[in-house]
Amino acid sequence: MTSKDLTLTNVSRRFGTVTALDNFNLHVGVGELVALLGPSGCGKTTALRIIAGLESLDSGKVAVGEKDISKVPAHKRNMGMVFQAYSLFPNLTVEENVAFGLQMRKVAKHSRLKRSQELLELVGLPSHAKRFTHQLSGGQQQRVALARALAFSPEILLLDEPLSALDAQVRVNLREEIRRLQISLGTTTVFVTHDQEEAMSISDRVGVMSNGVLEQIDTPDVLYNEPATAFVANFVGVMNRIPANLADGKVNIFGKNLVASKKGSETGKIVALLRPETILVKKSENQGNAKVLTRSFLGASSAIICQTHEGTIVQSLMASLNTGEFQPGTSVDLEVTVNEVMVANG
Amino acid sequence: MKKRLDLPLLTTLGALSFFVFVPMLSAFEYSIRTPLEGGYGLTHYKWAVDNEDFFHYILRSGWLSALTVLITLIILVPTVTWLHLSDSKLRPLIDALSLLPLVIPVVAFAVGAQISFPEFVQNTVLELPFLYFVLALPYAYRALDIGLNSIPLKTITEAARSTGASWVRTIISVIIPVIRGAVMATVALTFALSIGEYTLTVLLHWDTFPTWVTYVAQENILGAIAISMMSLVIPFVLLTSITLLTPDRSAQRRK
Repeated sequence: MTSKDLTLTNVSRRFGTVTALDNFNLHVGVGELVALLGPSGCGKTTALRIIAGLESLDSGKVAVGEKDISKVPAHKRNMGMVFQAYSLFPNLTVEENVAFGLQMRKVAKHSRLKRSQELLELVGLPSHAKRFTHQLSGGQQQRVALARALAFSPEILLLDEPLSALDAQVRVNLREEIRRLQISLGTTTVFVTHDQEEAMSISDRVGVMSNGVLEQIDTPDVLYNEPATAFVANFVGVMNRIPANLADGKVNIFGKNLVASKKGSETGKIVALLRPETILVKKSENQGNAKVLTRSFLGASSAIICQTHEGTIVQSLMASLNTGEFQPGTSVDLEVTVNEVMVANG
Repeated sequence: MKKRLDLPLLTTLGALSFFVFVPMLSAFEYSIRTPLEGGYGLTHYKWAVDNEDFFHYILRSGWLSALTVLITLIILVPTVTWLHLSDSKLRPLIDALSLLPLVIPVVAFAVGAQISFPEFVQNTVLELPFLYFVLALPYAYRALDIGLNSIPLKTITEAARSTGASWVRTIISVIIPVIRGAVMATVALTFALSIGEYTLTVLLHWDTFPTWVTYVAQENILGAIAISMMSLVIPFVLLTSITLLTPDRSAQRRK
């Protein structure tokens, strides 16, 4: 296995007056898949491009294993990269595209074509070797791009939103395939995406970024259940923001006193952050505390969106069974099923 | 079903025939006349080929033009690629500057070269390819500019770089093959312009094929026409063979 670990230390990068990365630190272990997730402009792509050597850094250090590669040009970094789309060389056949990295490394023709065939089998396109790239679908092109990035056994694999140009079904299949390949080859991988479902579903750890800073990096479970900041809480998954009063460390939501877990110095008027699955909707015989706005059937579960009498929109996620009665306009009682709640400034 | 005649196409072909092919065919007809014996024959072509200067000058113009093409590609492909990749603010300025050779009179250009170039440059015929390069710049620059505009240059370049290609390899192995059409157009335009260049060459006191033809015309006008006919064919054959020898491998793209 040729994979190594990757460390970014205090990396900063500014474009004019905009700070794309601000003292950014990241460590990706050998064979680990880390996703960088964040809204557009948060610096995730800049971070990836700095790792690849396609962007220079103002200060800080990028290291692969023990070696500082901050000043090493892109073509000598031995990293495979898959781009958003249209990155295949249109003048080459599929197998020549895959073998390109080996050709640049002066590997003999028969060896590189053999390796190319192996990779095409790995990505499920063994019979497409002689085709030109414009004869492939978007999903097939990205598979070839992945094969090309892996053919020369890179130390690090970089994925720059490789699925964002594809259809929904192809996206899901291909992301599973990327994960399967990544695990079987043990390649250290950094995956940039703005799609949280994508990031959460295939990564060992997810780093949530905002304004050039890594807000939190953790396993998907921890990120979802124990967000370190209000930004992470809001960005990852659906989050209800319910205005409330904080007094004596407690918050009263729908008649229940919950222990407030503060991330800062919140006090007085705050918003309570509650996941939809922690809110239970019950049919009310009288006025209740809210009215149903819509109910979306999602299969095993249903999302019920309600409005409280104070005007707050609250989303609940419940098992679909017995939610059929929640027609729009139905008076309901909302209840919280947890005892602790994260709060943020209102 | 009978296909409708394409009027604009017919008009274009008609105009082209009238202004290009008719004069050329007339010149050809004229060049194969044998006034002394009457009728037609290849006398003047034989006279031209037997003239030892014919090959001397056609070869000289040939290699000077080939060198011009090489200089153009070596200088322009990396430069225009860099302009596209860097999103430079200089690009509109360079766009405009590249047009200057069209508006500067060749006489002024030649005089300027004679005044400013050091003697050792003026003493070698190798000054011509560099000057031809400048004359061909407006066309060559635009051909490459359009070619690079039509491809996802940034992604392809970055893909090549991250796959292990140095800048030189990226340009030679990826960019040039991908914009093959634009490169071929640049080669054709530059070659044609260089091989036919007359004014600048004469003003700088050099002899190439076109200047030799005008010299020959003074003693044998029919022979000069025969030579000109051949000089039309040679670049045409050369450019066609270059195009055929470097086939567009993904030509099936058009649906």
